[in-house]
Amino acid sequence: MVTALKPTNVFTRHDLHHDTVIDCDVVIVGSGAGGAPMAAELAEAGFDVVVLEEGGYFQTRDFTANTSQMVRELYRDGGATIAIGNPPIMFQEGRAVGGSTVINGGMSWRTPDDILARWRDEAGLDDLTPKQLEPYYDRVERRIHVAPMDEDAIGNDNWLLKKGADAMGWKIVGNLRNQAHCVGSNRCAFGCPTGAKQSALVSYIPRALHYGARVYADVRVSRITFHGKRATGVIGKSAAGHHVVVRAKLVVAACGAIHTPALLARSGVVSRSGLLGKNLSLHPNVKVVALFDQPVTGWKGAHQAFQVREFADQNLGCFAAINLPPSIIAMSMPHRGRQLGELMDDYDKMVLAGLLCEDTTTGQVKTIGGRPQAFYQLSPHDAANMQRGLVLLSELLFAAGAKRILLPFHHAKELASADEARRVLGQPIATKGWEVVTVHMMGTARMGSDRLASVTDAFGFVHDVDRLMVSDASLFPSPCRVNPMETIMALATRAAGHVIDHSRRYLA
Amino acid sequence: MSYAHSPTARAVLTSLVPVICPLEAEPLADAIVAHMALTFSATPALLRRILPVGFTAYDVGALPRFGKRARSLSLEQARTYYARWERGPTPMHVQFARAINQLMSLACYEQPEMMERVGYRVGPWIEQVTKKRLTVYADDVRAQERQILAPDPLRPHAKKEVA
Repeated sequence: MVTALKPTNVFTRHDLHHDTVIDCDVVIVGSGAGGAPMAAELAEAGFDVVVLEEGGYFQTRDFTANTSQMVRELYRDGGATIAIGNPPIMFQEGRAVGGSTVINGGMSWRTPDDILARWRDEAGLDDLTPKQLEPYYDRVERRIHVAPMDEDAIGNDNWLLKKGADAMGWKIVGNLRNQAHCVGSNRCAFGCPTGAKQSALVSYIPRALHYGARVYADVRVSRITFHGKRATGVIGKSAAGHHVVVRAKLVVAACGAIHTPALLARSGVVSRSGLLGKNLSLHPNVKVVALFDQPVTGWKGAHQAFQVREFADQNLGCFAAINLPPSIIAMSMPHRGRQLGELMDDYDKMVLAGLLCEDTTTGQVKTIGGRPQAFYQLSPHDAANMQRGLVLLSELLFAAGAKRILLPFHHAKELASADEARRVLGQPIATKGWEVVTVHMMGTARMGSDRLASVTDAFGFVHDVDRLMVSDASLFPSPCRVNPMETIMALATRAAGHVIDHSRRYLA
Repeated sequence: MSYAHSPTARAVLTSLVPVICPLEAEPLADAIVAHMALTFSATPALLRRILPVGFTAYDVGALPRFGKRARSLSLEQARTYYARWERGPTPMHVQFARAINQLMSLACYEQPEMMERVGYRVGPWIEQVTKKRLTVYADDVRAQERQILAPDPLRPHAKKEVA
């Protein structure tokens, strides 16, 4: 799509005219939150880095108001990816240079201390203390410009969320986001058209390129190659059908928690722990649509300017207002015909609000015919907790002035008051009719000190395999409760430091 | 990524526009159905292979009850028939009906006329705020761009040490 000002060390399907063999020090599969920082740090340290990305290369000017085109171009499978279960859970992954950071909301939070303590206690990750991680978090926050929002960029939907939280006396915090003067276009999920969101595409990738890394877009890696137990590179194919062979001294899988275990599995990697692809956690999300009697115009203003954290210690990570374009809202509602029209005519009066559940159960990613398929069964405990969260969220929104609320269940009735919310949601509701979504997939190649209870070590090196690393949210031993991007980046930075410190061992 | 509606799929989807979309979208039926083809083109290959089976099943499934294919039902019959799929009798019926509802609703409100109708004028808004960012915050924006590329090695004296 972009050719005129494309950096010379970015290669797309249009640049690969025949089968290609590439030699380098480090090949990184994936260019998102795990791959891009690793690429930038290692390139700056002088190593010859190649990044392979299955998706395309886009620049800020390519991100337009055409929502569905952006979804088709930036999301894996057009966003139609589902974890099989009852209910099925729709999840989204970015598939473009910059990975999911191109389409996420930009929330940038450190993993809470008690979660790190759990990772230390349960996975033996003794060095993952807040103090040890601090310099890496600091570095990431500087690089991607983590900052509170400018007040004049916050939209009415978020002010209403705050009004409701204040009325309830609940803890609400200004969101920290990787943005340099976000001006509230509210298009985070479709590629930031202003360049304000400091996704990997506009931060770590340009840095990596500046220090000599090469990025190959439109290349799907089929498998990792080995000599004995040593990873020696990868084999893939460009979108134009040409084979791409990369020979490297170190291989890094950074394809996300769905595709990293699949890449390892189809490359023949077997974890003695039996946990490769297991331990999938999702931070399941549900949302409600609240209708007010005055215009909200929620699409003007920053995405998720606040998070309600009152119930974070009760496995309800946060509540947030999340405006979406009318087409996406229409798609997510069970209404049809006249009812759909009547609902959408009130689009300007809507506040879309969601909650994130810190899940207590796990699913798995199976590799079927070489392709990953996620399976995840929402537990009754988590479902009940989310149902309770919906009561609380409804109470907040009614306190903010909402006149009616639509629930995320098929055939659910509208709520007209907090009392009705408590009454309706106080009854068991069969989960098969729930609309559950997520963008936080974690845990499928968990790190740990015990090779019989983890897939990688504390830096992401795969146990029992030489020179093969994982660098993405697959590593998380458990859900991190908050948005995972910053922790993925911090762990990637820490791992890059480890590689640099031991370059004779890993790169000779 | 390639997909083109089969004649059956096109006929079924066209017949469903008045069922799923609001009345004012009916003149946009062709554009809505065409938009759905674009969406299908981005979906997983397996799903694209299953779709024709689903559309055929939906089309001929109306025969036992109504004596004609789904594409030929009256509006009331079409509503009744779609509602039967939406509620069962099997999870496959339910998922197919929901998926069509979702993707047709998406396609409907991606039409410029429908976005205008609900007051979503995002193009001019993007232009306005982009201009604001590049004027009001120009110095900070440039500083961040410089920071992205400025030397800042992770290790003070790191250098390539390949034997």
